[in-house]
Amino acid sequence: MTVAVAEEWVERPLRDFVAEARVLLALLLHPSGQVLAQHGFTRAVDVMSACALAAAIHASSGELGKQLDGRPFGALHHAGRERQIFLAPVATGKSRFILLSVFDQQSSLGLVQLYFEEFRAALAKAAPIATTQRPPALATDFEGELNRNLAALFGRA
Amino acid sequence: MKSPFAEMLASLTRQRGVLGSMVVGESDGLIVDSALQVGVKGSVVAALAASLYRRARMSADAAGVGTATFLQLEAERGRVCAVGRNDLVLVALAEPRANIGLLRIEMLRAMEGLG
Repeated sequence: MTVAVAEEWVERPLRDFVAEARVLLALLLHPSGQVLAQHGFTRAVDVMSACALAAAIHASSGELGKQLDGRPFGALHHAGRERQIFLAPVATGKSRFILLSVFDQQSSLGLVQLYFEEFRAALAKAAPIATTQRPPALATDFEGELNRNLAALFGRA
Repeated sequence: MKSPFAEMLASLTRQRGVLGSMVVGESDGLIVDSALQVGVKGSVVAALAASLYRRARMSADAAGVGTATFLQLEAERGRVCAVGRNDLVLVALAEPRANIGLLRIEMLRAMEGLG
């Protein structure tokens, strides 16, 4: 099982989540779409697409939640014929991330939810103490940061 | 609103030594309805018990011994019992003092009402 990370402190929590919840794919990303860690992807371009889509879904459902419920919706589950996705926000101190996971009949929504709660706690515990919230990536820095993270994930740093 | 399983679950949980019972989706591991004593972590037990039952059912099938009928997990301080039908699993948690023979009969009877 391979978990590739751009920041070391996320490796253990993500590795445990992947092993326990038996998910096929996992992505931990910043709400801006920058990837922090991945499991199961073989091509950088797939990670890029999945990050962009996950960030967009998260932003859309968050806004919809604000409109309908006064605050962003939490986790999102979408079931396909063979595969399902579970997308949920994770907060660690002052930083916020999104976890996207893909699973099939080898796991279940209940198991993914259960181990996601453990992942959330483990990530919060492992997170470096941040005194300020990480600023959103600027358009000028975004591509460079994204490429740096992708290079780290796919061994081309 | 009461689910069609509410009465059956209440009757199981009323048995001596039974800490709770629930109907869980086998494929998603989510609780459909439950009757649990305070302190039982329903969603955690549901997810894990449904996964356990599904694997037991698949093992029985792979071993060529037919459909799994009754699953009983004996632990240090009690038992987890499960029966399933139509993608639903009936799970019961019992203390060692519970009458497992009676619980088994009740669960197998209740299974007829699943789905």
